[in-house]
Amino acid sequence: MATVNGQTETAQGNINSAKQPLPPAKSVDSQSVLRRLQSELMALMMSGESGISAFPEEDNIFHWKGTITGSKDTVFEGTEYKLSLSFPNDYPFKPPKVKFETTCFHPNVDLHGNICLDILQDKWSSAYDVRTILLSIQSLLGEPNNSSPLNPQAAQLWSNQEEYRKMVEKLYKPSSA
Amino acid sequence: MAMEESTSLLCNLGVLDTLTDSSLQEIADSYNGFCAATQTLLTGAGDLSVGPEFAAHVRGLCKNGLVSLVRDHFLQVIEETFERNGASKFWGRFDAYSNFADLKKDNDVDFVQRKNSFKALTYSTYNWSQTVQAVPLQFLHALLVYLGDSVSYESTSSGLKSPLAARPSACCPGIDAPSEGLVRWKLRLEYFAYETLQDLRIAKLFEIIVDYPESSPAIEDLKLCLEYTGQHSKLVESFISALRYRLLTAGASTNDILHQYVSTIKALRTIDPAGVFLEAVGEPIRDYLRGRKDTIKCIVTMLTDGTSGNSSASGNPGDSLLEELNRDEEIQESIGADDDFNTDDRQAWINATRWQPDPVEADPLKGSRNQRKVDILGMIVGIIGSKDQLVNEYRTMLAEKLLNKSDYDIDSEIRTLELLKIQFGESSLQKCEIMLNDLIDSKRTNANIKATISAEVGENAISMDVVSATIISSNFWPPIQDEQVILPGPVDQLLSDYANRFHEIKTPRKLQWKKSLGTVKLELQFEDRAMQFTVAPVHASIIMQFQDQTSWTSKNLAAAIGVPVDVLNRRIHFWISKGVIAESPGADSSDHVYTLMENMVDTSKNGGSSGNPQELLGGDEEEERSVASVENQLRKEMTVYEKFILGMLTNFGSMTLERIHNTLKMFCIADSSYDKSLQQLQSFLSGLVSEEKLEHRDEMYFLKK
Repeated sequence: MATVNGQTETAQGNINSAKQPLPPAKSVDSQSVLRRLQSELMALMMSGESGISAFPEEDNIFHWKGTITGSKDTVFEGTEYKLSLSFPNDYPFKPPKVKFETTCFHPNVDLHGNICLDILQDKWSSAYDVRTILLSIQSLLGEPNNSSPLNPQAAQLWSNQEEYRKMVEKLYKPSSA
Repeated sequence: MAMEESTSLLCNLGVLDTLTDSSLQEIADSYNGFCAATQTLLTGAGDLSVGPEFAAHVRGLCKNGLVSLVRDHFLQVIEETFERNGASKFWGRFDAYSNFADLKKDNDVDFVQRKNSFKALTYSTYNWSQTVQAVPLQFLHALLVYLGDSVSYESTSSGLKSPLAARPSACCPGIDAPSEGLVRWKLRLEYFAYETLQDLRIAKLFEIIVDYPESSPAIEDLKLCLEYTGQHSKLVESFISALRYRLLTAGASTNDILHQYVSTIKALRTIDPAGVFLEAVGEPIRDYLRGRKDTIKCIVTMLTDGTSGNSSASGNPGDSLLEELNRDEEIQESIGADDDFNTDDRQAWINATRWQPDPVEADPLKGSRNQRKVDILGMIVGIIGSKDQLVNEYRTMLAEKLLNKSDYDIDSEIRTLELLKIQFGESSLQKCEIMLNDLIDSKRTNANIKATISAEVGENAISMDVVSATIISSNFWPPIQDEQVILPGPVDQLLSDYANRFHEIKTPRKLQWKKSLGTVKLELQFEDRAMQFTVAPVHASIIMQFQDQTSWTSKNLAAAIGVPVDVLNRRIHFWISKGVIAESPGADSSDHVYTLMENMVDTSKNGGSSGNPQELLGGDEEEERSVASVENQLRKEMTVYEKFILGMLTNFGSMTLERIHNTLKMFCIADSSYDKSLQQLQSFLSGLVSEEKLEHRDEMYFLKK
């Protein structure tokens, strides 16, 4: 257990150094961030929402793994996508970083899995939580915003749903885990 | 002679050349004579008169450098003789006793005789081994010394030590070092003796342990043998397979298994004070017990029921764990240090291989290590995994017991609790203590309320004296199964008066009645008889309704009492079985009619019981418990964890038991924080697997898709 904890700390250290270093005043708040994430987890678990799910990775509550299944009657039906969510230390004042881990052929998702979604950027509000983020991403799959595509090929193909479905199936690699 | 011999040893070939016909003849004669003498000496009935002749032959052979021939032949003959006579006699003794023991077991005769047979067996065995040591070995000694053999082998034989070699032999003084051959032979013989006895004891170990305190001489034997042969693993293997075959089966009751476990612990700690083999032997029992639902309940019953007379279980030795608690009271000094009996068993085996016995002088009672390692209660708690579960079960049982008490006499409970506190620590039993304090407080409050209220209510039909309340601090009690029931008007009035008075005395506290709990003593007066009962409030309410109206349909009655019809149908069976109420089919098939039996004519068979006080509690049905069982509580809590488990498996695909356990510990810390043991989680997960929510293969859990 001790060693695992050690890993966590270093992992967290990496995030901190990768992002802007936090002013010491905010570190007092980390307890409330923890509590907030804790209660979001509880709410998400108890909501029993089908099609979306997320859980903290290993023992670090700032890193979650998410799972979204493609909604019915969309080209993504029957697929399952893994996401990673990493929360900043000043969550929920800043949005979490959300990325697709599974390749997702989608106009608003680039080849590295980055997502272009307004609520994850400038439209973020602390009223959103993991559940709403996942729901938004799930609905984004079916209703892409083709005006600002990260994947122009996908945006072009979107109009031809049959071809698009084939493309999705071709590129879809279910996670082995 | 010594010189001659060494030459013959060194240059055997040279010696061959020097042989003449006459010397050959001499050798042959001597050899035949020697063989004959040996035969006479060893197989004869102790006739030593051929001694001088024998010595002459030996001397003659030695002169010709045939020392080794003499020795080998002699040893061989001894061995043959022994195998022919001694061994069969030896086994004959055992056969007699094992038959005897079997016979006894078949006929299930008392233990005392078996004890005697064990003792006799032990005695004869010791006797035999002494004989073996004394007779032929002495003889061998004498012979080989005579041959002067010891001189040439002295340097090599000093490396071989046998317990017998270390002992100077009384009958042949002046000999310092026996020959290598002799020592080897002695060792073989000794080992054979010990091993035979050990095998015998191991084969019967299960029975020996069943009879444990009576059979302790046999355990002592086994200890001695194992010290010599070191074949502990044989014991472990054989005993485990005996356990699997005879004890760990569906037919054995949990209580029996637990008793055998306790006896095993007691018996094996004699053999193995460090508890290493005990750990290995106990493992299958513990695993098996974990799979049984009533294990915890049985343990708690064993723990707590020591005080109330051992009438039922006189045959079982070491029955009451409470005694164990008592005994530990004196020795136990450090609590909390005993948390490590869950040590990994592989580790135990590693330790086993490195095991060093305590010095022989160390007092086995005082060695702190031993005390800590083989602590019976500790091992029992180890079955469950955590003491919290045990404490929880105890709390539920205690609640049940306390709620059914009509007096406030809790002396024995206090005693048990104090003993448990010593074992499990004060803090974990805090809630139980509060429960007992509630009872003590209730007694006072109850007296207080009755003293102050009686003056005010004169017009009430029922006097306050008949009510005694148990006032509980519900936060500290296990969840209580409350059922709605409408009590008869006057009683209800009485209870609310009581509650008001309580509120006046203890403002701002308020009393909330759990009307379905408790007991009611009542007397029913009929035209021809009177009957007394002690029943649950529901039963009392039911019978109360028949006071004014002697016939009810089940629907109406259920409405009057405020319980569902099916509950009513179940409860009213109590009165039907007592012959107080008769059931007849009503107009509607689902609606029964219940009629009060005013006189005993119809049910004359019950006439004998009329007027006798009935001490039967009105709730002997299984499901009728006032406290939610621990299992149900656990199941409720576990549904929260189920969602977490499904959540994490959705995102991580597959996880090991440990990882699920750790993850739950890490993240499930909201209002119902995760405090279960690995074993509890495992059984819960296997429940989910059988519900086809999860899959389990290669140590990993998966979501069932």
